[in-house]
Formats: sequence, structure tokens, C-alpha cells
Amino acid sequence: MASKKKDPVKAAQAKQADQGENTIPPKPKPPENDTASMIRASQERLEANRAPEAKKIGSIGPEIARYDAREKVMGQAQYAGDIPAPGAAYGYAVSSPVAKGMIRATNTQAAEAVPGVIRIYKHDAMKGRLKPVKFFNQGGPASTDMLVMSGPEIVHDNQIIGYVVAESYEAAREAANLVTFDIDEAKSSATFGDEGVTTYALAEKNKDWKDPVVGDAEAAFAQAEQKVEAEYFMPTQHHNPMELFSTTCHWEDERLIIHEPSAGVSVLKAGVSTQLGLKPENIDIISPYVGGSFGAKVTMTPRTSITALAARDVGRPVKCVLTRQQGFTQSTHRAETRHKVRLACDAAGKLTAYGHEAWEVTSRTDAYTVNGTENTIHMYAWPNATTKINVVEADRNTPGFMRSPPETPYIFALECAMDEMAEKMKIDPVEFRKLNDAQTTAYKNKAYTSRSLNQCLDKGAEAFGWSKRDPKVGSMRDGDWLIGYGVAMATYPTALSAAAVRIKVMADGNALVQVSAHDIGTGAYGVAAIVAAQELGLPIENVKVELGDSRLPPGPIAGGSNTTATISNAIAETCNRLRLKLGVKDGQSILPALKGLGAAEEQYNWAFEGAPPNAIETLYKGGAPFGGAAYGDKLRFAFGAEFVEVRINERTREIRVPRITGVFAAGRIINANTARSQLLGGMIWGIGSALHEATEIDSRAAKYTNSNIAEYLVPVNADIPNVEIIMLPEEDRETNALGVKGIGELGNVGTAAAIFSAVYHATGKRVRDLPIRIESLLTA
Amino acid sequence: MNDSTRSPFFTRRNFLSRGAAAAAAPVFAEALVGAAPAQAQASSAIPPGPAIPMSLVVNGQKRNFAADIRTSLLDAVREKVRLTGSKKGCDHGQCGACTMHVDGKRVLSCLTLAISVGDKPVTTIEGLAKGDELHPMQQAFVDHDALQCGYCTPGQIMSAVACVNEGHAKSDSEIREYMSGNICRCAAYPNIVAAVNQAKSQMKRS
Amino acid sequence: MRPFSYQPASSPSDAVKATSMKPGASDKRGDGNTVFLAGGTTLIDLMKLDVSRPTGLVDVNTIADKALSEISFSKDGLRIGALAKMSAVADDATVKREYPMISQSLEKAASAQLRNMASMGGNLLQRTRCSYFRDVAWKQCNKREPGSGCAALDGQNRLHAILAVSDDCIASYPGDFGTAFVALDGSVEVEGPKGKRTIKSSELHLASGSSPSVETTLQPGEFITALVVPAGNWARRSAYLKIRDRESYEFAAASAAVALEMQSGKLGEVRVGLGGVAGKPWRSMEAEAVLRGQSFNEDLAQKAAEAAFADAKLHKHNAFKKELGQRTLVRALMDVAAMEA
Repeated sequence: MASKKKDPVKAAQAKQADQGENTIPPKPKPPENDTASMIRASQERLEANRAPEAKKIGSIGPEIARYDAREKVMGQAQYAGDIPAPGAAYGYAVSSPVAKGMIRATNTQAAEAVPGVIRIYKHDAMKGRLKPVKFFNQGGPASTDMLVMSGPEIVHDNQIIGYVVAESYEAAREAANLVTFDIDEAKSSATFGDEGVTTYALAEKNKDWKDPVVGDAEAAFAQAEQKVEAEYFMPTQHHNPMELFSTTCHWEDERLIIHEPSAGVSVLKAGVSTQLGLKPENIDIISPYVGGSFGAKVTMTPRTSITALAARDVGRPVKCVLTRQQGFTQSTHRAETRHKVRLACDAAGKLTAYGHEAWEVTSRTDAYTVNGTENTIHMYAWPNATTKINVVEADRNTPGFMRSPPETPYIFALECAMDEMAEKMKIDPVEFRKLNDAQTTAYKNKAYTSRSLNQCLDKGAEAFGWSKRDPKVGSMRDGDWLIGYGVAMATYPTALSAAAVRIKVMADGNALVQVSAHDIGTGAYGVAAIVAAQELGLPIENVKVELGDSRLPPGPIAGGSNTTATISNAIAETCNRLRLKLGVKDGQSILPALKGLGAAEEQYNWAFEGAPPNAIETLYKGGAPFGGAAYGDKLRFAFGAEFVEVRINERTREIRVPRITGVFAAGRIINANTARSQLLGGMIWGIGSALHEATEIDSRAAKYTNSNIAEYLVPVNADIPNVEIIMLPEEDRETNALGVKGIGELGNVGTAAAIFSAVYHATGKRVRDLPIRIESLLTA
Repeated sequence: MNDSTRSPFFTRRNFLSRGAAAAAAPVFAEALVGAAPAQAQASSAIPPGPAIPMSLVVNGQKRNFAADIRTSLLDAVREKVRLTGSKKGCDHGQCGACTMHVDGKRVLSCLTLAISVGDKPVTTIEGLAKGDELHPMQQAFVDHDALQCGYCTPGQIMSAVACVNEGHAKSDSEIREYMSGNICRCAAYPNIVAAVNQAKSQMKRS
Repeated sequence: MRPFSYQPASSPSDAVKATSMKPGASDKRGDGNTVFLAGGTTLIDLMKLDVSRPTGLVDVNTIADKALSEISFSKDGLRIGALAKMSAVADDATVKREYPMISQSLEKAASAQLRNMASMGGNLLQRTRCSYFRDVAWKQCNKREPGSGCAALDGQNRLHAILAVSDDCIASYPGDFGTAFVALDGSVEVEGPKGKRTIKSSELHLASGSSPSVETTLQPGEFITALVVPAGNWARRSAYLKIRDRESYEFAAASAAVALEMQSGKLGEVRVGLGGVAGKPWRSMEAEAVLRGQSFNEDLAQKAAEAAFADAKLHKHNAFKKELGQRTLVRALMDVAAMEA
């Protein structure tokens, strides 16, 4: 029978030639040039003149305390909402009570009567005052194309449809609650399965997208020894950074100063500039500390421009802090997704085909999708794969990126299917992944610059005690508690962007590094200081770093885990130029050369090797040029393996995770201390994603019903007894000159699948809808 | 304690006067409202109003100001007393970022009305260090990297100090339970537990 | 939040008198009611949500009478001043020893900070977490707007109640201590405009009948001054078991407060309270009747659990609570039966 079929490997190779590229704007066209050679050339150039410290660096850098820890533990770090603004009035967004409809009138009489009210803006008060801005995925700076308060239309629940300015927060809130609307409400459609949603294939409407396909998957499925076909669901999730979304605006003549927690000050500046028709040089965005972002604070959201205009109208600073509830709809979220995954295996346990069809919910206004198949198709050594992404438009606010946007849902689905297949094949899930490891993948026949998944699996299995796992389902217990062990892969592509870095060195050996990158809790300040100190040959305490301010040379957004790789390379290049300029010899510190100098300064515009020629121009205009990952001739990804133990009460079925071990290989680690914290936080996010997090939607009204952090559950301290993190040394000389990969979004990928695997091991139940909760385990 | 985790950055002082960017930063000056507070007297109702004279004793200092009667302790301390270390993360008692000590007990300042505090002593994160010398709990948070974005950190530290003082830091599991009212979305939890363990012995000694 | 007048009270009678305060002509923005401010953890929260709109607050924390926050024991039982903080009662060594169920129900509620703020009297009167009640954008809520309907019946009702509910309201009573308190047959002492009286815990809260906006039998101006728990041989052998998605800082999906009088495997008096599943603090007389006087074993526990939930009214997302509630009760009964007392 099999002999009649085409050889799947040959079919794959034949078909591959037909496959086009798979990109959507604004990503640059993938460079076809030999990026690996270009990176090696950069490396050689850097290595020809380095400080002695830089020559000694190993893959895993030193453990150095967080740069801004002291300010933070003393309460002295001033976040955007902490900036004193004397004479400030308070802005308060008025939110729509319905998800869809047309506003006939805004009634403000009762609100106007509240003492202290300065001004109330009605639902269309910004009409003509706000110019259209493009949605981020269309190459623009905004979280949505929707123009807020510019007309009668309501397109999502809690949309900003009014704005109150008052003398106090209390007066503003009271007045906002008293504003009422006459609305012709229309029937809304909230999510999957609701009447009225619009579903289409992404490739149908987006001509730049082609679903990745390789070989002849259907033929391979038809002749498979074993198949898995299953559907997985990941619910809506919200970032919920601890810091509330806030904006304080104030004008100095024509100059607009904005204090807002931003993980993309250049993007925000470009957005406000376009939206308000201001010259970019007249806008300052100041955001040195950001109280968590996780993707939520990168793009421009609607409140900023309204607050700016209100501040101009009332002639005073205006401070607007969204409530926690408003943050659920007036920022972005991770959309709910459905996944149908198919795997085929031969008798030896080698995967022969992978199928993945996904459905992603978005708004009516913007087609936001995360397109995870671009990455998943490279994950294992299958010669055949077929994928398809579908878009489901509903009456919701536009989703956006949230920590590992494509990987969290797509790798979850893939890794769950891998676990199911390993079980069917009676192969240990660790061994099954190793068996199907790929250093080069069939799709476009690309090689990884480094992929240490197998090493991570081995090390993790040893550290966790995987050998103690009795593979029989339900076989392990401790008193009344059922025990399950589970494993999954973690991975994240290494993204790179562009950065302009200015470094000043003083005669006394102090240095200042300036780049408008962002430290959203990632440790970027310390990374910049450490790299500069190492490359210049200065004591670390001599290096001062400034980030998060649009008056600095532009840097990358804090998204796609690119910051460390981007700024480390940019700083190293800048230091190298400074050394050459000062005539510093290889192997020497810059210190002796500084004697007698007043100061020396170098500014360098760095973009990743193979970047499009306009990358720097794009950077200065507030764009976010991105590369790395699967672009160019190689695959650039970090990998890890996560092992979890779950305990499930035999009777009441609550699920706890007493311990979790993660082993990661992510190239060069600059600061092992803050890197470990990133991975720690990521893994705990993964636990939350598996067991706690879900934004509940009432489909009748397309409204969220748990938009607070008492009922939108995230893990608390008591949920996290024991986390073990191991960073494997990994030298990668082709991913970028410094060999740095991104880790901020690596830790939370795969965790939910490992818990899925462990829950099955403990109970025999495959819970394919997240979160896995008590009710899923009560029935046999 | 591992000396290598002592931040080398702490020796940096304002040697470059915050650099070019800081030089252009808008400078705001804040003057406190100097109204005399009406002593809340039994059986006399204070009518609603946007500028009720109030006072708070924060970190040992009496501060007078006028505020809307509805003002929370959190907003009063942040917006009127101008100590912004305490953070607003939910405003509804769900996250712990606003934790302060009132009368020596940890409470949520977002659910406390400023006017109801009276002359009870209030301690905020700014009141822990002695000048440049960090409180052992603050130092422990630095040493164990018990923070990332830092936004929940003032509340975590105020809660952690109280946790030790209450005698609820006897074991890791007890610390976890009694620190669960402080949500850390960056999820530094295990490091927070390590920090509390380090600080508790030092707090006993001091 | 609507504007309010603020009045510190000097005594319970002063507080009671102050609630009759009428709002001034200039302040009609509230609902005209004057209410007590104790810990504020429910009230201030609901005021910020615009769900509660009192015109006046009477601060009872300024009352200097120490008896209002005292915890005392006598041969008749336990007496807790209504202004005692949850944390103080939870940490009390005698409460821990003599009434473990009370101590545990308090420790497992809320967070350390909230327990330092919330008074015992206020905790008993905690309002529901029903999201349709807490978000005024929802038009239908019989608790907020009598006669408007109940959006939860066909909405997201995973956390809603299955016992003591009606077709007009399925909101869940969220408290933990209240569950233990009703199981132990506690009562509250009340001072009001018409003098003092005592209300049994079983008669303090009302089930979600046809007027869910009326939650208790307290009359306007009535102020809880003390909580009294009678002595009983069963109190020492008691426990509070709380089941939830995360390990801490979450309301119960289901809970059970169990106290047993037991000798050589035979049950005497039995007390069963159920939380997270009912519209009011719920004592399961049905479960107690099955258990009382019988020889204890798992089968009996299972029968009691089935009796406890025989009348459960299930909705789309909370149907699991019947099974979970039963299992929670069985587990609690097994745990308490195994206790050394």
C-alpha cells in the first residue's frame, strides 16, 4: 500500500519550490542574502579590538543585581503616574455600556452639575481633531484603526465614548458615571460560535499571506502508522500589568510632553504626531520606568491623544488613569484561539506530517492575527505539513500582542498533540521529542544557527527526576493526592531590531549610555550597563544608562524579546567605534586613552545584519524594523524544556503545581541574575495560563464579566512553591554578533502543554480547553 | 547573602546630572496646601465637599492638606502628600500594591478613606530606610532580585515587613500564604519568599 | 463614588442616632441613606463601582468602647465584639484551639491586609461578587434594581449559587466565616433605633427569594455590636475546608464547615455549613439529619452530601458545583472524623 504512495520526503522537496514567502506587512521583506556570513564578519570586526573584560565573557554572564533595584525598593522610581503635575486636572474616560450601536445623544446635564467639573467631551467631540492613524499590523503605530470619539458608532464594549476633565479624580469619576447616552443598540456577536461573526481564511483577504505548507501532508496522513487529531482552545487573556494604564499630558507652548508608561516611546511619538498633526520634534514621551507591559504598552491606544487635546483645551496638565476594568477594553489582549492539530507518525516514531488549522478572533475594525504557523512549521523533523489560519471577526476591541503572542497558543496546541502522539506510540514524551529533533527543517530547508532542545530535555529530565515517572496513567500518588509528571518544549524566535546608541565617556572614567529602549522589568538598564562596561573596559559602577525617553536616540520597542539582543549588539558596535576613534589598542581598557580628554562621544545607528536599507530611517520615524527569527537563510530560535509535577486532590480535584523545572539554552546571557527572573516569571505565567487565566465573555452582550484582578485569576505567591531554572551555556555565532537570544517570552511557552501532559498522567483526562479547572476533572 | 548580587550600580551618584535628557525634563514644583484640618469630632458630621481640610501623620510627619471628602488614603498620600512610592494597581483591594502600615498594621490604602485615618501613624515605603541605609527587607529584595518591573514592590515590601512582625514568616509555606495578598504579575514570588527569609533574621537582630 | 457626609461616632447609640441624619438640600446625588463605615472593604469597593451610593457615612471605628472589639470566652461560648478585626480573631489562640473552624474560615478569607481591616460584623454582611451586580452597565439585576431581572441566570454563572437561590437571583454569598458562624448556630447582638435585640445567624440573612435586594433582616439603623457563638462539644472537632482554583486569595468555589461530636465512631451532634454554593450562609439541616447519631463511615458521608445538595438548582456554568460541593463535604467530614479531639 505504502509503495503506491509518493515518497513523502521527495514530495516535500518537490512542493517546497512552489512555496512563496509568508509575511505580512510591516515586516520587511526577508533578506535573501547570507546573513550568517554578515554576522560572522561583524563578530570578527568586534573581536579585533576589545577590552580585556569582553574577551573573557562566557555564554552565561555574571550575576549582577538589578540596575534600578535600589530606586524601586525605596519607592523612589517615578513611574509615569508618579510624576508631579501641579495644577493638573484629572481626566476620566467615559465607557460605552454596550458593545455595538449608534449613539443618538450624550446627556451631560447631571454630570455638568458635579462641583469641580471643568469640561465634558461628548461622544463625537474629537471629530476632525483626531487624524486617522494606521493599525500597528498595517505598519502604523496604533492599537486600532478606530478613531475614538469621532462619530456615533460603538464597535466594542467599554469603548471610550466620552471624557470628563475635573478638578479632582473623585469629581471626574462621579461625573463620568452620571453621563448617559441614548443609544440605538444593535445585536452584537462576541466570539466563536456566536451568530453574526464573520469567518474567513487569512490568505483570502491578506494577499501578502500564504499559509506555510510543505510536501504532501494529506498523502502522509493517509499512510500513517499512527495519527493524532485533536482540537485545542485557548481563551481570551489579559496582560494585567500591575501598573494601571495612565497618561499625563502637559503643554509648553507648542511642545507636548507626555508621561505615559510606554514600551515603545518612538512608536507613541509617531502616533501622537500623526493623530494630532504635530511636528514630531515638538512631542516628548517620557517613560523611564514601566510597571510591566507584556505587550500591552507598545502601541498607541486611544486615551493618549484625547488627554493631550484636553490638556490643551483646559490650559493645564491633565492626568488620566484608566481603571483596572477599563484597561480590559481600552488596551489590548490575547485573543481566544482554536486549533485543530494533526500529527502523523511512522512505525519507528518518526513524524511524517503535521497539520494545523487555527481560528483567531479579532475585532471588526482590525485584522489582528498572530500567525503562529510561521514558527511551528519549523519545530520538528516532519517532511510534510499543511497549515491554515482563519480569522473570526467579532464585536470586540482589537487584540494585540501578549507575551509570546504566536507561541503561547500555537506551541501549546502543537506540544499537547506531541504528548498525545507519544502516548499513542508508547514512547516516552522526552524521547519522542528527541527522536523528532530537527537541526534543519523541511519547510524552505533552513538550518538552525543553534538548537539545543535535546540537551535541555536531557538536563531537565535529570534535574527533575523524570526517571521516577511511572508512565502508567494514575499510578503515582501521595495520600489523597494524585501526582502527574509532564513535559513540553519551550521555544522563542530571536528577533532583532535597530537602535541608535549614544555613548559618552568622561576623563574620570565614567560613561553614559543613551538609547530609547525600555526596561519594563526585564533588566534592560543593567544589560546596557554591563555590555558597555565590558566592551569599554570600565568598572560596571561607572556606567550610567538612560532609557525610555523619546528625547534619547531611538531604540527598539520592548516587544518580541528583541531588546537585549538589539541593544547589546548596538552598544558593542558603538563601543568599538569609540575605541577605534580614541586609538585604544586591542586587549586594553579605554581608561588610559581618556586621560587628558574632556569627554568623548560616539553615536551609532545599528540595524541587524540583512536589515532593509531603510531600517534606520524607519527607526527614526517611529517604526519598528524587525528581523532575525526565520528571516534570511537561517533559523534563529532559543529553546528550552519544562518539566512539571501536578498534584490533584483525589476528591475535590483542585490542581496544584508543587514544582516545575525549566532548562533553557538561549545563547549568551548578559546578566544571569535578571535573566533568571525573566525565565522564572515566564514559567509562572505559563502556570497561570494553564490553570487560572481566562477572560470570561457574556456572549449576549459581548461584555467581559471578570474584568478585575479578583476574578481574572493570576497566580499568587501560594501557588508557586518551587521553581528550578537551569541556563545551559550555548554559543551561537550566527544568530547575531554577540550571540544573544531573547528570553523574555521563552519561559511561558510550553508550560501549559507540560501541565496538560501532567494532568493526563495523573488522571487520564485530556483537557484540551484552557484553563484546566476543577470542573474539567470532576467527571470520569 | 551572596555578595555578587549586591548591586554595583549603587555606587553611581549623580555624576552626569541625569544627562542631556534629564536637563530638558519639565520641572514641576509642588506646594502643599496649608489649610488647618478640621478635627473630626464625634457627632458632628462633615458635609461633602471638594476641599475638606484634612491631616495625616505620614512617616512621622504631620501633613495638612485639603481634599475631596471621598479621597482614599492612597490618593491622599500620592496626590496631596506627594509620596508616590505607594502604588495604585486596582483601586479595589484586589492586588496589594497600595499596602501601607496604619497604626503598625498592614492595610490597603485604596479602600481606606483618608478622612477616617485621623492621627493614626501611617508608614509608607518611603518611611522604611534610614537615610541611605536600606531596611533589611529592602536590601533582601535587592539581593534576591525579588522584583522585576518594580510596581508592586513597595506594597510587597510593606506587606513583607508586616508579615515578619506579625510572626507569620515561620516557614516558606506560611510566607507564601501570608504574602498572597500582594500580586506580582512579573511573578517574582520565589525570590520574594527568599527575601523574606533573609530579612526576618536581620529584623530580629535590629 | 457619590459624595457623602462623614460622621465619626462616639458610641453605638450615637452611631445609631446618626444614621437618621438627613442629607442636606444641596446633596441629592446619593441615595439618601446613611450607612455605617467599619472596615470599609466591601462598602468603599462598591461605592467606587457606583453600586452603593450612600449619602452619609457613620464611622464606627471612632467608638472608644473596647468591648466592641474584644474576644472573650465563657462557659456559654465565644463572644466577639463586632469591630474586632478578622485577623485578630483568626490569630486568637483560644479560638484556634476551641473553634478551629472559625479560625480557619477567617485565615482562608481574603488577604492579610484585608483581614486587618475588615471587622467581624462587616465580614458577616459581605456582599456578593456576582459580576452582574457589581457592574452597573448591566441593566438586569434584581439585587441592585428590584424588578429589573437577573442577568446571571443565562449569563456567566460559574461562581454563582445552587442552593438558597430563586428565579430572581442566583448570586452567591461569598463569605467564609459566615458559613462557619451559621453552622455553629451563632447569633448577633444588635443595637437599633428601637433598642437592643438578638438575631440568630440562621435568621440574619435572607435567601434569594422574590426580593433579592433585601439581604438581611437588619432594620434601618441597626448596628451589630457583638457576635456570639454558643459552646458545644462539637466545636473543638471542627474544620473549614475551602476549595478554589488558586491556593489563596480567592473566593470559594465550594467550602464546607464541619463540626462533629463523636465517640467510638458514633456521631452525636453534627454541624454542617456550606459556602460558595448558596445564596446565603447555609447550614445544611439535611446533611446533619443524615449524620446525627449514626456510625460514621464514608458511605454515610456520601449520603449526607447527597442530601445536602438534593435541592440544588443548576445553571449552565455552575452545574459542577453540585458534584464539587458534595465532594467537598465528604472530604471535610472524613478529615474532621479523623481528627483527634
